[in-house]
Amino acid sequence: MASQLKVNTLTGVTTAGSINVTGEGNSTTTSLQQGLLKAWGLSNDGANTADSFNIGSATDNGTGNYTKTFTNNMATTDSSITATSAENQYGTMFSGGRLATNFTIKCETISGGALDSVIAYKVAGDLA
Amino acid sequence: MSTLNVDALVGNTSANAITVRGEGSATTSLQQGLAKSWVCLKGSDTFAVRDSFNTASATDNGVGDYTTTRSNALANGDYATAGICSATGGGNPHYNFIVENSENSGTKIRTTTALRTYILNARDSESTNDAPDYSMTFMGDLA
Repeated sequence: MASQLKVNTLTGVTTAGSINVTGEGNSTTTSLQQGLLKAWGLSNDGANTADSFNIGSATDNGTGNYTKTFTNNMATTDSSITATSAENQYGTMFSGGRLATNFTIKCETISGGALDSVIAYKVAGDLA
Repeated sequence: MSTLNVDALVGNTSANAITVRGEGSATTSLQQGLAKSWVCLKGSDTFAVRDSFNTASATDNGVGDYTTTRSNALANGDYATAGICSATGGGNPHYNFIVENSENSGTKIRTTTALRTYILNARDSESTNDAPDYSMTFMGDLA
């Protein structure tokens, strides 16, 4: 019979921010904290926020230039931030800068013109 | 409000399977929902790992040509990756993107521990190109 634990918060005993989880192969463990995404979001025109997690605000810096600000900040400027575009057929997006408090995504056409686009993004890294 | 203080979580029926109640009515897998590795690299100037998780090494194979390896291997080569890099200045700025291989890049390497990727610049006949920032996240099953 499956056991069920009802709990609202998980905290490490030895280190509050460190809990290991047995991996799928049963041979190694992985970090719960470092495996959890710290933020994600979908923006329908890049500037707005259709849905998100740990994104407090979004700023439209201009065409194809968007800054997403965290609700809870990251520990460093070195988070692993990835993003994809849903309809940017003739363009791409790239990292426009990272801080512990926010990050910027820019979208351009192949010829270099700024381009508004749907973007989906996620952030992995350490919380402050 | 309850708080569980614990250092390790192990499934009861199966050690590798813990279910978590989702935001709505469904449940989701704790193990499969966790990213198994991520890395943030500095690709230009002096190549370096800015920050990482479950990353054993990062190798600069050449211009825009990086290989990262995992400390704990994935179960197979079919893990999902997502990456993005920053623009590069110079004669053909911007429009960098990350691929695993192409006509103008080298060998594809995707194993349970290693992933080789190439940063291409579409404005310069898809030549390989270093980027100041490079991020990659790995989702899949641990070995």
